[in-house]
Amino acid sequence: MARAAVLQIPGVNCEYESARALEAVGIEATIVRFNEPASVLSEFAAYLLPGGFAFQDRIRAGAVAAKLPAVERIAHEAERGKIVLGICNGAQVLVETGLVPGLKAGRVEVALAPNRAPRRSGYLCRWIRVRAAEGPGRAAFTSALPLDRVAPLPMAHGEGRFVTADPDVLARIEAEGLALLRYVAADGSKATAYPDDPNGAMLQIAGLTNRAGNVLALMPHPERAAQLRHVPLDWPGEWGDRRRAAVGNWAALEGPGPGRFVFESLARRLGVSPREGALAPGAGR
Amino acid sequence: MSAVLTTRLKITDLTAETALEAGRRLLPEGVSLERLLREELYLFEPAPGQAATAFEAPLEQAIESSNFFVNPNKERYRFLRSAARGDSLPPPDGAWGILARPRGETRDDVLLERLLREHPLPGLGAIRRARIWWLWTRGPNGDAAIDACHAAIGPVEETRRGLLVNPHAEASLLLRSPLPWSRVEAFLHDLAVAFHAA
Repeated sequence: MARAAVLQIPGVNCEYESARALEAVGIEATIVRFNEPASVLSEFAAYLLPGGFAFQDRIRAGAVAAKLPAVERIAHEAERGKIVLGICNGAQVLVETGLVPGLKAGRVEVALAPNRAPRRSGYLCRWIRVRAAEGPGRAAFTSALPLDRVAPLPMAHGEGRFVTADPDVLARIEAEGLALLRYVAADGSKATAYPDDPNGAMLQIAGLTNRAGNVLALMPHPERAAQLRHVPLDWPGEWGDRRRAAVGNWAALEGPGPGRFVFESLARRLGVSPREGALAPGAGR
Repeated sequence: MSAVLTTRLKITDLTAETALEAGRRLLPEGVSLERLLREELYLFEPAPGQAATAFEAPLEQAIESSNFFVNPNKERYRFLRSAARGDSLPPPDGAWGILARPRGETRDDVLLERLLREHPLPGLGAIRRARIWWLWTRGPNGDAAIDACHAAIGPVEETRRGLLVNPHAEASLLLRSPLPWSRVEAFLHDLAVAFHAA
């Protein structure tokens, strides 16, 4: 069985549901504290940096955590090809380490800036829609989501706007397909304005990978949409229909939700034999 | 000319404490970071055709008598009217600083709208915001080793270099000595320029 470490940094608050989402697809998840010997981390095949507020977002979200020995070890393992998924605050940490987009090793090339939307500022918590694109991260993170399908996911962040001040970096992110997941409208077309585009990120990026495709910084929370019961009852469209149809049916509610595709893709990439029901039809479709 | 408000915590600033701890680990050998202080800077700009004198008195009253900007139980502040602010922004004794602003718009229109709802201030056109990190450092020769410290804990350029500012989201200015207010205003007013990271 493939083993993944979920890194617990002071201030994160999504480590348990992230571990559960991994376990649900057959990946053995272990929560590892930030101050355990960094060498402990080497035994894992994959790493998940969960959401929350590492070090209370002091200085800047992800800035302090990015300097931790444990994160440096994970960066080292990523350079060796191991898989790293950062969700929300975990994505902010990965950006501050320079692991994504990782065009030039050791350089910090992007930032996650405060959300930008007309007449709004600060934290925003709502469901949005994403769509996967072809790119180097597809095998590890989105293979279970067909390219023509839209996945609803919850987002909850104040600083989630991918930006770069370097025009060359922007051009290469686009040209090399590193914008793996983008915010889209309900019909799957480009998100052009709030609320489809919730934060004004460059290229409507919701998830940014590195060139090797083994690291993903993802701002929405797939672990909070890993089961059908997570979908809001009033959500429109296919996922909402399924959610409403499942009322009273516990087994169906516990079944795959729209965020499951991330964890299924990881399981496939790690060669995990699916548990019964773990890779059931429905996720990402 | 703008009126100026600076605020900082007088209770322990945990962000500054964390920056101090994290910053110390990034400094080159022989260089020490002795103290670090975080200030928020607000510039109050008059509306076109107006002067700051139109709103400064009621603004000062609003700052003093409400907790809109400052809670006096936990924060201290300095409000400088445009005519009394002096020529330049001086660093505290023995300190140098990093003035940081968002790369995008520095105007905080949401804050302005909320302020004007609570405190009518005719003539106030915009509020611009920035952050100042003041640092007390010492190098092996007894000087402040500003360049070495700025490279180590200033703008993040590499994984192991930089802390206080991510230059892709913020533009920053090194404050070695008193900086003319006109330059502070221009820095907050002008668009931040793109750069090449590599």
